[in-house]
Amino acid sequence: MASVPSSSSSSSPSQPKTRKKPGQNSSPPPPPQTKWQTGTQERLYSRRLVDALRATRDRTQVQESVGSRAVKEAADSALALTARGQSRWSRAILFGRNSCRRKLLVKAGGKIRRHRRKQHGAPPVAAAAAEPGVLKEQKVKERLRKLGRLVPGCRKLPAATLLEEAADYVAALELQVRTMRALAEALSAATVSAPEEEETEAVDPIAIAEQGS
Amino acid sequence: MSSWRSRSRQSNSSRISEEQINDLVSKLQMILPETRIRNNDRVSSARVLQETCNYIKSLHREVDDLSERLAELLETTDMTSSQAAIIRSLLM
Repeated sequence: MASVPSSSSSSSPSQPKTRKKPGQNSSPPPPPQTKWQTGTQERLYSRRLVDALRATRDRTQVQESVGSRAVKEAADSALALTARGQSRWSRAILFGRNSCRRKLLVKAGGKIRRHRRKQHGAPPVAAAAAEPGVLKEQKVKERLRKLGRLVPGCRKLPAATLLEEAADYVAALELQVRTMRALAEALSAATVSAPEEEETEAVDPIAIAEQGS
Repeated sequence: MSSWRSRSRQSNSSRISEEQINDLVSKLQMILPETRIRNNDRVSSARVLQETCNYIKSLHREVDDLSERLAELLETTDMTSSQAAIIRSLLM
């Protein structure tokens, strides 16, 4: 392995990180996180969430109640679906829940492999040998491990990948919280006005929307 | 994405550069609400990772709370009659 141990001279001219270099101090947000902040993602996710919740509710028996855990799982699955299996944590969530979703994902992206990751062999050895200085500290290692436990499906990843997944996961979680909160607000507003509408049996959606907002 | 390719090339040659790690850590720092306000240089990687763990945990807690709230709301609401209102308010 003729790996040149020049980790200090890592900024070799052939690195095509052009999109990061010019704007490093200014504020253009990095694309993977921006994707979670667009209105499109919010609408996509909220629609999926509503569908998932309705499906959960239909599945629940009349006497039983929809548990909060079922809601959370529906929300997480909807979030992972909205990620379209492009990140490891989303694949981990979907593989964990439902094996028939695997077909959907395999169709969606060609890169979904559960066991055969080319990088799996290299990192454990490389991590011991060629880590940069900051990663060798005990504190940092511990916290990286903690982080790996928090993000689904990311326990054994090398540091760089884990950090990327964590950033994406945080942005996605923020979206999830925003959407669920908006949904809860909308539902509680609708609940206030709904009983009145149900008595008169004239369900006028526009009226409900006006009262709700 | 060319940067994806360059990164996988590097990890195939079993080397993760320090610049890359610092880059990712600072990216993470930009996302966290706590550390974003502070100056970039003064926050150590350990601190960023700690904040990230805390932030993810608090987000998980919020999701749990909201799940409980939504579960209760789903009991009392007839989804079909108010779903138009929901979709409308979400899309606006």
